[in-house]
Amino acid sequence: MNIDRNVIVGVALPGTVPRMQTLRHWWREAMARQVFLLPIAVVFLALFLIPLGQTLWYSLTDFNGYSRALRFVGIKNYVRAFTDPSMIASLGYTFFYAVSTTIVVTALAIPLAIALNQHFLGRNAVRAVFFFPAIPSIAVLGLVWSFILSPLPSGAVNTVIGLVGLGSVPWLSDPMLARLSTVLVSVWGQTGWHAILYLAYLQSIPSDFYEAAAIDGANARQRFFHLTLPLLAPAVTVSQMLLLTGGLKVFDLPYTLTKGGPGYATTTLSQVIIRRGLGEAKFGEASALAVVFMLLVLAVVVAQFAISRRLERRL
Amino acid sequence: MIGKDCTHQGHSRGLRRMAAATMLIAGSLLAAVPAVAEPTHLSFFSWDNEQVMKPVIAAFEEANPDIRIDFSNAPPVNEYVQTLQTRLLSNTAADVFIIAAENKNALIDGGFVKDLSGYDFIKTMNPQNRAAYGADGKAYGLSLASWGGGILYNKALTDKVGMTEPPKSWDEFLALAKKLKDAGITPYYDGVQSGNLMPLYALIGLAFSKEGGNVDQKIFSGQTSFEKEWTGPLSLYAKLYDDGLISRDVLGLSDDQIVNEFATSKVAMMGAGPWNLPAIRGINPQIEMNFMAVPGPVSGESFLSGAPSPGYAINSATEHLQQAEAFLTFLASPEAVKLYHKSSGAITTTADYKPDLDPALAAIYAGIEASRIYLPMTSWPRAQDALHTEMVAQIQNMVAGGIKPADVGKALDAKLADSQ
Repeated sequence: MNIDRNVIVGVALPGTVPRMQTLRHWWREAMARQVFLLPIAVVFLALFLIPLGQTLWYSLTDFNGYSRALRFVGIKNYVRAFTDPSMIASLGYTFFYAVSTTIVVTALAIPLAIALNQHFLGRNAVRAVFFFPAIPSIAVLGLVWSFILSPLPSGAVNTVIGLVGLGSVPWLSDPMLARLSTVLVSVWGQTGWHAILYLAYLQSIPSDFYEAAAIDGANARQRFFHLTLPLLAPAVTVSQMLLLTGGLKVFDLPYTLTKGGPGYATTTLSQVIIRRGLGEAKFGEASALAVVFMLLVLAVVVAQFAISRRLERRL
Repeated sequence: MIGKDCTHQGHSRGLRRMAAATMLIAGSLLAAVPAVAEPTHLSFFSWDNEQVMKPVIAAFEEANPDIRIDFSNAPPVNEYVQTLQTRLLSNTAADVFIIAAENKNALIDGGFVKDLSGYDFIKTMNPQNRAAYGADGKAYGLSLASWGGGILYNKALTDKVGMTEPPKSWDEFLALAKKLKDAGITPYYDGVQSGNLMPLYALIGLAFSKEGGNVDQKIFSGQTSFEKEWTGPLSLYAKLYDDGLISRDVLGLSDDQIVNEFATSKVAMMGAGPWNLPAIRGINPQIEMNFMAVPGPVSGESFLSGAPSPGYAINSATEHLQQAEAFLTFLASPEAVKLYHKSSGAITTTADYKPDLDPALAAIYAGIEASRIYLPMTSWPRAQDALHTEMVAQIQNMVAGGIKPADVGKALDAKLADSQ
């Protein structure tokens, strides 16, 4: 921006008055905009920046969550974070959960959204049914599903399997099956919500595009890959970002379904952080874990955004 | 202007005189009425809910009309510990609060709780309860109850295989489980998912009691190790799974599911504590059940899983010390203990009150009273939560068949070394 030197020094020379009025007008406009941003800036400062600063500070101390008498310990807490077996196990499971949930939900939600966008009898009721799992608390869903997936022959799923003459499946007692079960319940709970998100984007695509494609002789597959999918790309970016960040921060579903077991098979990073800070009264270590975790989430989200943008351009 | 001013001054003088007269009359009247003292408000943060504590608090307030209890609570354990931690940090903690196994070290080491050693009310406490919430010979918590757990059995199902009395040794217990299995009855479920491993804790407690009872201190001081002390009891416990007497499916069962299976007679025995009885009777009021103590490797020896219940502590920063002392004195009285036992069902262990217990507990009450109870988490001097998490995870791995009993001890030794 070019600013007149005469205005800056405050000397009104002949011919500079209109410029000063313009600058004043610009300044008032800019200030008005800032005033609108002020409330959210205060919220951001109070609920994010200050706690983040505190977490960074605590991560360098031996703070136990009780006593204010802190001792600076340098990067000791960070070294421990990378050598703790439960942290390493939980890191593997958390990434498995977040990535597999993101892939499966996306693969199911887009076709579901296209199906829900068609005209058929009872369409609104069907949409509501698919959206319903997103309404109850995920912790409640975890408790309900722990009965459904009970490894006993009396478990709901095992009862059905028993009716066709097959043996019980140890859904929650085998480490690998327990991991898959948490993903299954998460997919069940989130697919409907993300399908509604895609549906909103689908409804904003003008029907003229499809009519023109039909006139050009494009079949259903071609219309999907060359018209629907490229126009849904921004929705895919948003949906995947929500799924990835939610998956990386997950605590409630695996905890209510398996309590993090068997062993550390379904223990999440959030669970380790909460336990370390509250259960073990090691706020310093928990803060270091939280900082490392935040950086990991940030790196994953930035990478996901960059890849999604590149794919959007390619589509 | 002058006249107006004069008039105004005249009005002001009149008003002042009236105000002075009114104050004089009011003052005389107030002096004539005897002063009513405002009751002192004593804050109390509990992990028992209001329904449990209400009768006790009402009785206290009736006996002490000059003290009002401001009650608040958070459910155990993590939510309570977290809330108390936050309140202590912000200097808003209650005058009286609960000290539990999970936070006792932090509270005592941080100087947040007052030494109660000199008070009379401490004398009614069971010595084991006193030791559980003490350090360096001082007492920091008024613990009035203990819980004991063992093996709960469904009499109708055990009668089917001819059990006339509870097994006297661990081998007899395994033989009973085999008989039940052969008869097509699921023998036993344990809380492997939650870590409520009643038989294992009892077997460890029995082994430790034979060695003089201070084995945990020796482990923590480096004189012995978890691997050396735990492998024996763990190997006995692992036989249940290695011999196929319990399905490894217990890894995926919550405590509620186990209770449900037991109450609906789908399993003959379960590891249980007294808190399970109301839920089981709620589901199946007709069920005939009894506790048995966990039999040891030698015939005739038995032990229980259990621990002293959390205690009441006085905030060392309280401004109402006298009232807090009165409250704890009342809580330890037979009247309050009786009320608390009735509202909570807790197994109280104070010297001057004998609780009226569920008949199913009759077989194990003597063991609780004699403190033949053991729970690792309350016996470890520090790092309880870190070791408990590691212990549950490694025992789950052992039950899944991934590691041997000795590996559990090795993992606990490594965790202990890491927490130094």
